[in-house]
Amino acid sequence: MNTTKEGSARSLSKGCETAQRDISLAVYGELPDDASHRLNHHLAECGHCRQELEAVQGLRQAMSLYPMLDPSPNLLTRVRLRLEEALDAVPRSGWMTKVVDRFFNGIARVQSAPAMASAVLLLGLSAGGLAGYHMGFKEAGSAIPPARISQDQDGVNEGLKVADIRNVERQPGSDNVKISYDRVVPETMAGSLDDPTVRDLLLKGAASHIDPGVREVSLGLLADECQSGRQCGDGPIRDALMVALRHDKDPKVRLRALEGLQPYVAQDRSVRNVVLSALLKDSDSKVRIKAVDLLQPVDSDSSVRQALHNVADTDENPYLRTVSRQVLNGLPEVQ
Amino acid sequence: MAADTLNLGDLRLPSQMATKPRKAQASNSVAVDPQARETENELIREAQQGSRSAFDSLVRQYDSSVLRLALHLTGSEQDAQDVHQEAFLKAYRYLGNFRFECSFYTWLYRIVTNLCLDHLRRRKSRREEQAVMMDSSGEPIDLLSNVSDDRSMANPDRELERKFLGEKIKAALETLTPRERMVFELKHYQGLKLRTIGEMLNTTEETAKNTLFRATKKLRANLATLR
Repeated sequence: MNTTKEGSARSLSKGCETAQRDISLAVYGELPDDASHRLNHHLAECGHCRQELEAVQGLRQAMSLYPMLDPSPNLLTRVRLRLEEALDAVPRSGWMTKVVDRFFNGIARVQSAPAMASAVLLLGLSAGGLAGYHMGFKEAGSAIPPARISQDQDGVNEGLKVADIRNVERQPGSDNVKISYDRVVPETMAGSLDDPTVRDLLLKGAASHIDPGVREVSLGLLADECQSGRQCGDGPIRDALMVALRHDKDPKVRLRALEGLQPYVAQDRSVRNVVLSALLKDSDSKVRIKAVDLLQPVDSDSSVRQALHNVADTDENPYLRTVSRQVLNGLPEVQ
Repeated sequence: MAADTLNLGDLRLPSQMATKPRKAQASNSVAVDPQARETENELIREAQQGSRSAFDSLVRQYDSSVLRLALHLTGSEQDAQDVHQEAFLKAYRYLGNFRFECSFYTWLYRIVTNLCLDHLRRRKSRREEQAVMMDSSGEPIDLLSNVSDDRSMANPDRELERKFLGEKIKAALETLTPRERMVFELKHYQGLKLRTIGEMLNTTEETAKNTLFRATKKLRANLATLR
């Protein structure tokens, strides 16, 4: 009998734990029907839990002494005004915010339909590739005309080249657009060759990729300056001449560069190397013959002697072979 | 007590104490019938497209209940105003993210309860023990004087006793953790379903049930002498 009573007490204790939790839910109408039936049954047998029920009911009653009050109309008006002011201060969401919102909303929708998302992605990629292909054809077929703008100046329509667009904004409420841009304005200047500005412009002309004639004239003027020994030194003009001799596609330009480098050959090893390179590799025979002419006074450089020997022995051009041999015959033998 | 006298389906308070917990006006204003729900959804869509007047209409539907909850939880008019303002500003900013997967009321109250929880946690960490509710000018509000009393017949002794009891209850509520306090307030004062409370607090209904049980147990222990 004792064992039965102890077992009953233990089960009652466990039942009480469940019942007490159920009571707090039952008081607030949150207990399901089946649990409610079980609790009823338990309460009929357990005086302790009946007391618990009364205690929870009492708590619920007691809470009415600390009620939740409606805010006063004054307070409500105050907070509404304050909120309106704050909302007015919130900047209207711009197009960027809307785009970002729509993007993330779209992502959220995509997450819920992965198969559809994959199909849309493939479709988008295909359409993009096709459009790119067609655009490429159009681009190749018809080059986009350079940006030109006509501006009425003093009653004369003048075509202007635009260097860059700095800002574009649409005038609110109209079809007008305000565009800020930089113009390329043609200018002319005249001055002495000794003028640094003129020299800078000539250097730019020597590097011009637009007009070979401009390159030739510019480089010729700079070469003349160097040949006459005026303000060349080892600065930008010498460098420009060396670059032109190595890389310019126009043989006339290379020839003028070679002429300009003549004063440097004896003293400047880097210039001599460029001239040697022209002797051995240049595609134009006039340039190579001129190079031999320039190297003739350099009798102490073994690399010059070696290069002349190579040309004299093996070059395809008979005239060049003869000239090189003549130069070598005129040089003293190196022991 | 016999089992048949304990009908839990009709669990009522004794008639002399039958001051039912105030059902939240917010839940009354929640769009429950399909037509009202559709009207509200239309307002939300308009607000999402940038209509300020539509958003103002949504604010008018819910701001009173939001303010009441904040006022009760924070115990300060100033703090309640801050919570109210911050909640609706957040709602305004993030309304574009609302995708009608739950009711607007639940979505809005999720914002409000999070703000209130933050407030309660900050206050707990600061150990601010405000004994009385303060208005915006810093003057104490006499809560119990605002309770409609159909029982005391303006008996001064009874009034004094009620004030004392009210203070004890407030102090007992302060002993709850912020989450217990929130669940208890939303259940007891707002009358919300525990499932909804769970949604608002980003937790399960079961967790909300356990939290309510813990809260009532603590309150009972703290208020045992009142009975």
